[in-house]
Amino acid sequence: MRNVILGVAGAMMIGLTIGIFFYQSQDQITLPELNQPNEMQENTNPSNELEQPYAQPLQPVNNDTISYTLQNDELNITYNKGKDWVRVPVEKGQLFDGEYNGNKQELIAGSYILNENRAAFLYKQGRTFLIYSLDQGKTWQESVVTETFPPIRFRKVDFLNDQFGYVVLSGDRTMSQEFSTSFLTNDGGENWKETASPPTTRLLADGGFVDETTGFMSYGTINPEEPDVYVTQDGGNTWTEAVIPIPEKYDRIFVQAEFPVKEDDHLSVLVNQGPNGDYKGGNVKGKFISEDNGKTWEFSMEVQPNETK
Amino acid sequence: MKQNKDIRKIIGWILFLFAAGFFCLQLGYLFIHERFQVEYIDNRLFYIINILCVTCLGLAILLLLTLTKKWRWIGASVMVVFIVVNGVLLVTSNQEIKNITSLSPDFKHVLSIKENVKNGEAVYYRSYYGILARPKERLPYETDGEYNVEWLADDVAAVTYKAVDDTIQQFIGTYGDRGSGSSYYYVGAEIHGRWEGSDVSVVSNTEGISVTENGETELFEWENMEQFGTLAVVLKKNNEAVWTISLNENFKVHSAASEPTVGNISLYKATMEENQPITLHYKTLN
Repeated sequence: MRNVILGVAGAMMIGLTIGIFFYQSQDQITLPELNQPNEMQENTNPSNELEQPYAQPLQPVNNDTISYTLQNDELNITYNKGKDWVRVPVEKGQLFDGEYNGNKQELIAGSYILNENRAAFLYKQGRTFLIYSLDQGKTWQESVVTETFPPIRFRKVDFLNDQFGYVVLSGDRTMSQEFSTSFLTNDGGENWKETASPPTTRLLADGGFVDETTGFMSYGTINPEEPDVYVTQDGGNTWTEAVIPIPEKYDRIFVQAEFPVKEDDHLSVLVNQGPNGDYKGGNVKGKFISEDNGKTWEFSMEVQPNETK
Repeated sequence: MKQNKDIRKIIGWILFLFAAGFFCLQLGYLFIHERFQVEYIDNRLFYIINILCVTCLGLAILLLLTLTKKWRWIGASVMVVFIVVNGVLLVTSNQEIKNITSLSPDFKHVLSIKENVKNGEAVYYRSYYGILARPKERLPYETDGEYNVEWLADDVAAVTYKAVDDTIQQFIGTYGDRGSGSSYYYVGAEIHGRWEGSDVSVVSNTEGISVTENGETELFEWENMEQFGTLAVVLKKNNEAVWTISLNENFKVHSAASEPTVGNISLYKATMEENQPITLHYKTLN
């Protein structure tokens, strides 16, 4: 008995001593919601018995090296797959201002630029702004794209080089009519100038510029019957309707023009089947070529969906 | 003589069991600390339990076994060294992480704040099973290390502290509810009306909450209030806490505004000096 008691006592002493070392090397438990101090009355815990949901760790929306997230009602961008984050000084709601029906988990396609040289986001707070950074989020500049614009539906921003960029906006939709126009900058986004608007009020499908003078606006989003494209060759001062003769075989099949791209010495555009197309599964597109910088187009070939990108 | 010996044996075994219990507690703690992310509510508890465990163990051996003088000395020395080491660690650990622990008047809740002395960062912990705790939220201001804890009710603890920018701040730990427990309500709205106590009165109306003390009235607008849980609001001026209003245990929250207001509220001044909360009675609606 004596030996048992002494043995147990000795084991306990050794255990406690080792325990002290363990305890000393243990880290303080980190606070899960450390970055969210309770500042507003609305933010306090509704019931004392329930734990508040923890702030989620930021996860990029995709696997790209340069990506973003809209978690925690903020826009954060990363340049290294989510290791480090930079917060964009803009309110999440302003990025979706206007006609937007979605879950706000991802930015509206086209409404932002995010690459190594430039991060830029269109948003609206009364006026329409472009907030951009040329040093990966260290500093941010803001420029006013337009002072007044009706509720925005379609929005797109892009830069062709360091200096020249464009913003295409449409809005004020009533039934299936709306106003659409574009804005150009020649100083890297600081100042914006509105161009003339194409003489149509159909719903804008896509738009933009392929160089500093040549731009396109493609119309028809609901049951289009044929591509409806306006082209400018003088930096947006005048717009004329482009001629896209559809071969009889593809009549009412290829109906919606996408955005033209420069290819070697000519322009090419893909004309898709619109929202209701069912020709060869609905994803095949028609490729058209223009030799006169977009005024007239000629059918070239069918393109399979996996070749289109 | 025989009876004496029996009592010694029984006490000895009880102490031995206690020691074993403490030992298991410590082992269990080390295990669940990592696993369930909990800590002792006060970091010093670990050392205190160590000391208790060894003391019980030493006394148990003394009562249960007859040892030679030599072994008694060895055993006693080991115990003394162990207790001294734990005592030193207890003091030094509290210099790194300062523990502010306070037991509620009804012994049901424990307020726990742990402050990292080096960077002035203080974290509020919520207690589980009396001795364990988990971090809940960081106090919004860096502190300069001084705290005043006052229980305004059995489930409301007001922590008054000085921030490094020399402002007085208050943090309220709340552990209960005055309504059904299932819904949120605003304290400011629930105390709508006029409240009076000795020399002070409080009026809560659409503009905000005004506090009159010694004839001087100060209005705190709704945006200058911070609610904690569903039991207290801190009234602020210039980013500094001035008063805390809390609902007493007898206060009843009604979902229907037509029912009469029942119960008292407490008004507590935000100051580092010792002061008592003032109980206020409901007077009129306006």
